[in-house]
Amino acid sequence: MMMLSRVAERLYWMARYLERAEDTARLTKAYTHLIMDIPAGSEPGWDILVRILDAQAQFSEHHRACNEQNVLKFLIAEEDNPGSVHFCVRAARENVRTTRDVLPEEVWEHVNGLYLFSQEHAAKSVGRRNRHQFLDQVITRCQMISGLLMSTLCRDHAYRFIKLGALLERADMTTRIIDVGAGALLGNERLSTAVDPLIWASLLQSLSAMGTYRRTIGPLVEASTVVNFVFREPTLPRSVRFCLDGIRRELLPLTHHEAAIRVLDQSLQGLEQFNAETAERQQLHDFIDHFQLELNTLGNMISSTWFMSRVETSGVDASGVETSGVETSGVDAPGGV
Amino acid sequence: MNSSWHNYSSHNAGQFFDEMITDAGAPRLAARHAVKLLQALSGPEMAARRGAAELAIREMGISFTIYSEGGNIDRAWPFDIIPRIIPDREWQKISRGLAQRSRALNCFINDIYNEQKILADGLLPADIVLDSGNYKPQCAGVTPRYGAWAHVCGTDLVRNKDGRFYVLEDNLRVPSGVSYMLENREITKRVLPELFEDYSILPVDDYPSRLYSTLASLSPRDRRRPCIVVLTPGIYNSAYFEHAYLAQGMGAELVEGSDLFVDADDCLYMRTVDGPARVDVVYRRIDDDFLDPEVFRKDSSLGIPGIMRAWKKGNVAIANAPGSGVADDKVVYAFVPAMIRYYLGEEPSLASVKTYLCMHQPDRDYVLANLDKLVVKPANESGGYGLMVGPHSSAAKRAEFARLIEANPRNYIAQPTLSLSTAPTFINGAVEPRHLDLRPFILQGRDTWVTPGGLTRVALVKGSLVVNSSQGGGSKDTWIVEGKG
Repeated sequence: MMMLSRVAERLYWMARYLERAEDTARLTKAYTHLIMDIPAGSEPGWDILVRILDAQAQFSEHHRACNEQNVLKFLIAEEDNPGSVHFCVRAARENVRTTRDVLPEEVWEHVNGLYLFSQEHAAKSVGRRNRHQFLDQVITRCQMISGLLMSTLCRDHAYRFIKLGALLERADMTTRIIDVGAGALLGNERLSTAVDPLIWASLLQSLSAMGTYRRTIGPLVEASTVVNFVFREPTLPRSVRFCLDGIRRELLPLTHHEAAIRVLDQSLQGLEQFNAETAERQQLHDFIDHFQLELNTLGNMISSTWFMSRVETSGVDASGVETSGVETSGVDAPGGV
Repeated sequence: MNSSWHNYSSHNAGQFFDEMITDAGAPRLAARHAVKLLQALSGPEMAARRGAAELAIREMGISFTIYSEGGNIDRAWPFDIIPRIIPDREWQKISRGLAQRSRALNCFINDIYNEQKILADGLLPADIVLDSGNYKPQCAGVTPRYGAWAHVCGTDLVRNKDGRFYVLEDNLRVPSGVSYMLENREITKRVLPELFEDYSILPVDDYPSRLYSTLASLSPRDRRRPCIVVLTPGIYNSAYFEHAYLAQGMGAELVEGSDLFVDADDCLYMRTVDGPARVDVVYRRIDDDFLDPEVFRKDSSLGIPGIMRAWKKGNVAIANAPGSGVADDKVVYAFVPAMIRYYLGEEPSLASVKTYLCMHQPDRDYVLANLDKLVVKPANESGGYGLMVGPHSSAAKRAEFARLIEANPRNYIAQPTLSLSTAPTFINGAVEPRHLDLRPFILQGRDTWVTPGGLTRVALVKGSLVVNSSQGGGSKDTWIVEGKG
């Protein structure tokens, strides 16, 4: 089965954006819950969310104060923040619009439905009152689409590039969620003993991993065990290890996979060697930073190996869709009286 | 008869030919069953069927894009549920005429880019052809396989008051609309299934496989399954829906210019995740001007640098071949009957419309003196843009066109205003006559093939003769029915 590089690229970005929308929703939801649990006055600031997503520069283009209202608007509804839920949903839809012919019919309907929902509700859901319901809907709809893809798509290149996009995005977001834990407590030692377990538990919840953690590790939530669990548990679908294993599996059947596999194996090795039990919070944060750079390298490797053989793809990261096809003048208009 | 058909025949009062109802108010023979059944449906029932059709159109995602000042709008395809019915016996003759015309046009294009015998023999003035923007000198010296250039031709027909079909124009560059012909049949099957019981209707849905065979016959390499791609300008094009539809129907890749490249071996390749894959046939839906920035417009980002080189070397087939537009110039149109006699030694079996060429002094004088009776068209526009319908025009408009003609006579032709036929159309709860045309599609590869019927476009505005979808036109399913119906 032949697959155009452009189509592969759009499917990959569709999956990345859907995953990013879901993960940003999960992160935001978990953090909102966490803040409500922590006694007033000692809660960590909302700026952490922006820092976790490495979006300080973009944030400051639109907002001055890092208060709840601004940060949540930025994460949920901002039209031109490539990390906002609404932006991701819109970008995913654009990518599906141009690849409808290789996807099952219903995928378009559901992605379009998600977009229409977000279009109508995102801006109204910045406040705490509607926020939870909106985020829940986004998560549910994203999962419905993933389920649809899982149960209807042929296991060919289309599936492969969708998996690659979703897993890479998820690995990245999982490390960012761990970083929330590290970041929330950095330089805030007075909080640690009382609040620490609350934070880690809410992070596990955001990964839908609380139940599994209790069953495999036990009921006591501790920073280092959580980090090791979320990094290395090979059976947990949102663990970093699980994502990297999955990426490896999807890379192998592709031609010219050698370079990408090399980068991936390096990351896997680094992951195995990092031990949260002996690491300081600062070391954890540095490790995550470094690890995210590696994931970035892997992403670039994927696009240069399978997508970049074509013209330069600048701007694709922002929306997944180039604008080169916009020119329409004089082309193919129906003729005649 | 229910009230929505009330007084139908009195609307026309014998001014136009009606496709379904005679001047005496009786259904035509082939339409008898359909009229009986449709007249038995109550107004609300008709409205319900129409609602079902609209729903089906939305669900199937049939849309087209129109350009407007407020940006591009994706519109649902306007569709009238009452089919147009043409008896097979009548159609066979038209179909033969269309095939004859397509063969002659292809002979002409091949002649123009090679020996130019027809010009040497003085059948038409060389400057008409060679000075036209549609003549592409870059294509000279090429003879594509089977001498076929315009592999897909959409010829617009209208039926005049005398009941005869006339050729209005040939679209030889990138004719569109065939997907709507196919979808219209699908919708009618869904919303008026009972109509199909009494009729034997020639099927249209094998078009994608006919197109595939035509394109495959052009492949430069002998392979069991040649690599065929549909080249689209992209999602923002008005006919993107159709490009995707046809690609899917043929199992071909839908590509954009940036997916393709010409390598050092002068062959065309597409970029796939497994590396470059050689392409045999490009069914392109972009204009010549955008095809190859090395040869045509340098600012085109839609095309593929070097594709003309690959084509001229015979390493890839392009359908329609570049330069085919030389034969769909509205001035050249006037000479098609002569071409049929010249190349085929046959009499044209389809009638053409009398055409006045403003470049000729006597014709120009006549046109300028009779602007209120004529349709004036620019030689080189499509989509119904920039034309003037004399009897419906204002004095100011006529003065404007007089100036335009004087300034650039080569660019204008004029034709008598035809009385386009009408057909019953469901408008605001009543059935009223509306004007329509017909665009059949002719495929030309190793063999010639004509769609049974075609796309009927209907002007939904009362009295209007403009059927273009970009200007408020809709469409109807078109039936070619066997036997007496």
